[in-house]
Amino acid sequence: MSSNMRRDFASRDELIDYLRREFPQAAARSGEVSATRGGRREAEARLQRIDPQRYAATRNYLDGAVTHLSPYIRHGVLSLAEVRDAALSRVRRPADAAKLVSELGWRDYWQRLYERLGDEIWRDQEPYKTGYRASDYASELPDDIIEGRTGLACIDAFSRDLRATGYLHNHARMWLAAYVVHWRRVAWQAGARWFLEHLLDGDPASNNLSWQWVASTFSHKPYIFNRENLERFTNGIYCRTCPLYGRCDFEGTYEELHRRLFPNATGNAG
Amino acid sequence: MTPNQFTRPIVWIHGDCLNPYGPALQAYPGAPAIWVWDDALLEEWRISLKRIVFMYECLLELPVVIRRGDVATEVLAFAREHAADGIATASSPSPRFRAICDRLRNELPVAVLPVEPFLAYTGRLDLRRFSRYWATAEKYAFGQKPLFDDQ
Repeated sequence: MSSNMRRDFASRDELIDYLRREFPQAAARSGEVSATRGGRREAEARLQRIDPQRYAATRNYLDGAVTHLSPYIRHGVLSLAEVRDAALSRVRRPADAAKLVSELGWRDYWQRLYERLGDEIWRDQEPYKTGYRASDYASELPDDIIEGRTGLACIDAFSRDLRATGYLHNHARMWLAAYVVHWRRVAWQAGARWFLEHLLDGDPASNNLSWQWVASTFSHKPYIFNRENLERFTNGIYCRTCPLYGRCDFEGTYEELHRRLFPNATGNAG
Repeated sequence: MTPNQFTRPIVWIHGDCLNPYGPALQAYPGAPAIWVWDDALLEEWRISLKRIVFMYECLLELPVVIRRGDVATEVLAFAREHAADGIATASSPSPRFRAICDRLRNELPVAVLPVEPFLAYTGRLDLRRFSRYWATAEKYAFGQKPLFDDQ
């Protein structure tokens, strides 16, 4: 039997120092601490601030009115039903909260699939629709991605943010995942493990199945993006400073990128 | 399993329900409760310090004893310390959770209590794609309030 761990801390810094000593391997791997605080009090404060209508209008933008509730939902600090009820209480008509409720539905959906799949959630649910076989994908993430030194301003910022904050906007997750799997041809499992290591909301259900959705092992086609799409939804904050602007890996129409990335694939771009 | 079937239970808190209003703490208020850091899982998933800090802050708002090691071994040891006649916990879809419950049941009865469901629906759902799931689920996803009730 192990002894009780401490519960009394004078400050957050004292707690963090204690945990660095108690979990030296975790601290050695990645010693950063997020500004996002755990706990029901913080979760309730954030729940008070959700704005379902602005969420629906702006959620795809990196500076949109997203809720930042995912770490609390992932650990059951808040239930999906509670968040849904809070969203409905903020709007005049239920339809005004429909987008947020459907996004909660995605988590419910992934959880139901996880219940059914168990550890199979780590296996390709379907073949890739990219023209490549599973064995064509590398099993490990390249260091330049992990360390944020690919030279692509957006990708490197997402990598650093993931490590420093344990959070990425959903759109950034999709772009980063697409880059890993389709531009670098790395197996989605390697990316999923990387995200689980760092994301405060890391959960095999939403995480792995979303990676599979991007990879096309749980969707009809691979998810890709182009520079124009990323520039629009980031308000250009990365592209403006990127030395590769105008000649980066993401330049081109979706059709051009699809042909370039998946020359042996059947089916359409999108 | 029905709630309140135990007279001297302990509550096992796990990472899918760090909620002071979770079903096990609600069913057995005041019962001794335990959290165990799963050392093997932390290494297997290479969990970073920031995730541990976040979860620890959640735990500090729960009436729970915090330990570490092999989860089933520690929960059973805690149950013995309190001469418990059962273990109550919240449901989870995780296969590791199921495996731990199986080990606990070798020694004590375990009540796995459901968290409040998102959908007011218990019928069949097609999970092949989200669109198929949502075609049915959407009608039940708005709780007790009817969807688009002003139309």
